[in-house]
Amino acid sequence: MIRLYISRIARDRLALAGAVMMLLLIALAAAAPWISPANYADQNLTERLSPPSARHWLGTDDLGRDVLSRMLWGTRVSLVVAFVAVGISTFFGTLVGLIAGYFGRWADAILMRFVDILLCFPTFFLILMVIAFLEPDIVNVMIVIGVTSWTGLARLVRGEALSLRERDFILAARALGASNSRVLFVHLLPNVAAPIVVSATLGVGGAILTESALSFLGLGVQPPDPSWGNMLSAGKDYIYFAWWLSVFPGLAILTTVMAFNLFGEGLRDALDPRS
Amino acid sequence: MRTGLVPAALGLLFLGGCGNLSDEPPLDSASPPAYDDSFIESSIGDASYLNPVLSSDSASGSVNGAVFNGLVKYDENIHITGDLAERWEVSQGGRVITFHLRKGVLWHDGAPFTAEDVLYTYERLKDPDVKTPHSSNFDKVLKVEAPDAWTVKVTYSEPYVPALESWGMGIVPKHVFGGAKGKDFNEHPANKSPVGTGPYRFKEWKVDEKIVLEANPDCFEGRPHIKRYIFRVIPDNSVEFLELRNKSIDTMLLTPDQYRAYGEFFEGYKRYRLPRGAYTYFAFNLGRPLFRGRNVRLALAHAVNKAELVDAVVMGLGRSASGPFLPLSWAYDPSVKDFEYDPALAVKLLAQEGWKDSDGDGILDKDGKPFAFTVVTNQGNKMRSLSAEIIQQQLKKIGVRMDIRVIEWSAFIKNFVDKKNFDALILGWTISPDPDQYSIWHSSQKKEGQYNFVGYGNPEVDRILEDGRREFDPQKRKRLYQKMHRIVHDDLPYIFLYYPDYLPVVHRRVEGIQMAPLSTFGFGWNFDKWFVREKNVRYPVRTAQ
Repeated sequence: MIRLYISRIARDRLALAGAVMMLLLIALAAAAPWISPANYADQNLTERLSPPSARHWLGTDDLGRDVLSRMLWGTRVSLVVAFVAVGISTFFGTLVGLIAGYFGRWADAILMRFVDILLCFPTFFLILMVIAFLEPDIVNVMIVIGVTSWTGLARLVRGEALSLRERDFILAARALGASNSRVLFVHLLPNVAAPIVVSATLGVGGAILTESALSFLGLGVQPPDPSWGNMLSAGKDYIYFAWWLSVFPGLAILTTVMAFNLFGEGLRDALDPRS
Repeated sequence: MRTGLVPAALGLLFLGGCGNLSDEPPLDSASPPAYDDSFIESSIGDASYLNPVLSSDSASGSVNGAVFNGLVKYDENIHITGDLAERWEVSQGGRVITFHLRKGVLWHDGAPFTAEDVLYTYERLKDPDVKTPHSSNFDKVLKVEAPDAWTVKVTYSEPYVPALESWGMGIVPKHVFGGAKGKDFNEHPANKSPVGTGPYRFKEWKVDEKIVLEANPDCFEGRPHIKRYIFRVIPDNSVEFLELRNKSIDTMLLTPDQYRAYGEFFEGYKRYRLPRGAYTYFAFNLGRPLFRGRNVRLALAHAVNKAELVDAVVMGLGRSASGPFLPLSWAYDPSVKDFEYDPALAVKLLAQEGWKDSDGDGILDKDGKPFAFTVVTNQGNKMRSLSAEIIQQQLKKIGVRMDIRVIEWSAFIKNFVDKKNFDALILGWTISPDPDQYSIWHSSQKKEGQYNFVGYGNPEVDRILEDGRREFDPQKRKRLYQKMHRIVHDDLPYIFLYYPDYLPVVHRRVEGIQMAPLSTFGFGWNFDKWFVREKNVRYPVRTAQ
């Protein structure tokens, strides 16, 4: 089965490109401490705002720090934030969706009305509001993005669970006396895994964007820690005389989000039983 | 995905935009001054109240400065001169000031200006229900009387030297407010469509977009040349700079980087560089045990390399600071020698206080606790956040860990500064030409929301601040404040970082610009004398008035 999926993805050029880029980014992030040419926080005020050169491949910023090193460390920040945030949202989304879909009735009614209420708020403003009350740091950003973005997944999982619970294998499990939690996690969960994986992959792109936006507004990762968002924000003040400060982080966000989205879409097609 | 494209695409777009510039025709230098051009200024924030009694922000200040007049004002040499008052006498050892008002001054609606308006303005300043930040300037006033329509007599409970300066406060029209008091005054519609006596009349205010003023041909100071004065709200400095490049604004304040950028960006504009009535500082919360001992503060002062800050943050466009007064002020003591950059001495001083790196993690510690604290500063001020990052590195070299938090302005003031909820902060003061800094340094000003938020108290400084308000002899007063400059420098409630220069640009077509040396009150102090020659007019105002 898995071999089938892999061969399907391998045939989808775009998804394959996405996967390669994704793996490359993960490798870069993991290797950042060893491959960075300099420490991301080391200032060299005599070399501030120098353009890309052999010494500094992507130039230096307004404190003379090496942009390439900051970008590499920023990859870590962006990916860690995105993975943890998506992990949190996947956990809540799956749990709520499964419970609502499997138990139905009042559990479904209460949980789904709650989801409806959350969906009424524009997510980004919800995040801004929560961050305003908390300290803006990397952990809070991950948590806030995670707990505000699970509603879509919850609805998706609920829909799947609703249709699955009437199927024979579930009825069989229950007839054999399986407990509710066993049915939920051993029988239902593996069968809704495909949409969850797809949604999580696509969610990573969204989370990277949200983190960038928050850092851009100064509410995310705090200095001197680099993130693509706060690098972009710092770069916009110098857009005329130091283009490299905004262009490279911008391109990094663009390619990363694209990589995850392409792979996610490829994955969706590959896992689609109708294809 | 779509939103992801935007930042990168914008980056490329701007990149492509560099290049071709001046298509400006050469300026004419012979035609006579015109009376129909417009001038477009930009402001980072919108005004709050177009009423000088209620406003304290700089955006409102610039508009109010053009619409209203005070009884007195500063001239180009930072001397107090008459505005709505023609002359004045100080009597009874400084306890009484008698102002003789200018006759024949009209409000913009045609009503005559009289002493009644001055009385009304004073009553509102003292009205407990009026939300004014300026009332403390008038604490020492016993009474204000108007013996006749053109005379105002102010009696103080004790001699108060900054008194004269405080009457630079804009005077508001009693008849327009219908004598409104308290809350009615705070919420009066005239706060949104002001009527003043100044060179410019209010025309319209589109919230968060622009404020438009029009020349007042009947102004007692003469008819201004520039017909229309437009304040555009542009909330972001880099957008403001783009507008300047497009030549869609006539003036802005540059950052040091922008000032130093290639000259071609400013073709069509004239750059100015003036000392600014402001300084940037690193303040310690003296209430925190970590910073109570002077030796610790002294060590940090020796660890901060101000020369590096001046080079990298203000790019040489400013100078390092030694105390609370500006080098241009007579209160400044040039003999004060600043703490030298000496990290070795800093380490030694901290070791004397028991701070050593006993666990070898690169951070000093004492009783098992690391030397770590957080500095807070506000968002939107690049120079402050850059300073924070540079100081962070400088302190790291002596084994001190400083974390940085950059916080949105209103939350920063309300939750951190006012509540003294900080270890250290980086902020700036814009100071008035008179050296009375009672509200910043006097030990009675430590309450929540007051300006002595570091909790500084030195009986000698208290005495100087009190005497300085009573001492009319300029020489004696100078000695007092110079002494204070030295004491505050030595006491180290702040590390005084640098005095940044004031870096405005103005469109070249505008002439007659005089820049005042201490431009705390706006470089456009003689704006009503600025002019554009007829052939150089850029935005003619055609509507007849």
